[in-house]
Amino acid sequence: MPLFEYRQAEEVRDALRRHGVRYLFIGKSGAILLGFPDTTQDADLFVEKDPANGSALVEALCELGFRLTAEQKSEIVRGKDFVQLKNGPFDLDLVFAPDGIEGFEHAFARHIEVEGFPVCHIDDIIASKEASGRTKDRESLPRLRAFREYWIARNRRG
Amino acid sequence: MESAGFERVFHPAALAFPMAVDTVWRRAYDGCMNARRELVEIPGEWLEEFEAAALRPLSVRWRYAFVHTYKPVLDDASYRSFDTTEDYRRWCNENLPLWLGYATV
Repeated sequence: MPLFEYRQAEEVRDALRRHGVRYLFIGKSGAILLGFPDTTQDADLFVEKDPANGSALVEALCELGFRLTAEQKSEIVRGKDFVQLKNGPFDLDLVFAPDGIEGFEHAFARHIEVEGFPVCHIDDIIASKEASGRTKDRESLPRLRAFREYWIARNRRG
Repeated sequence: MESAGFERVFHPAALAFPMAVDTVWRRAYDGCMNARRELVEIPGEWLEEFEAAALRPLSVRWRYAFVHTYKPVLDDASYRSFDTTEDYRRWCNENLPLWLGYATV
């Protein structure tokens, strides 16, 4: 599996925008977009669970080079809570119901745009990692919380 | 000293005991979620990393961030889906090696 290059991230952003997909970067890839210096292996997209949005997402994914069967397309349109894609040019996790977040509208209302990338607020990224209870998230949380403080202070200063 | 009411305090012990500093911070966080926090503790080493990252263009940050190593089981299927997030967590607990860190605590 090749790396997820920045050029490809831009392609994701542009394709999803063209198709009008409502989504947010979440997880560590979202934090990285906000400036968090760390490493990750894939990108997590928090997608609004809505059949029309799911259909638009399927079209965008096919355009990006993901090879989806009819059944897989149907599952994405239906909005299964968690879909893991490793059948395209890079790894992508589609999260329709992340832990610790009230709902898509709530997260979208306070999302951040970073060079056109829609990103969950750092508090939502932290909340989802806290709620997941995974060992790897527990380990990364202290540094992520410290980054949150840095990020808030930096944005206050402008 | 920050002008917006923030004071960054570096505890020398933070490098040796980052979890202790986090515990202190969490106590403050839990106690005043809605209040403005006057005291922020960021270990000096982390602060340097955050500031260095802030100077890099997004494309460079992205390039530094994405790595790929083979993850047994997880990488062995090209597609997986789960009806609920709970199902996904359960699958991780039951199928992935513990050292990958996907198991819930």
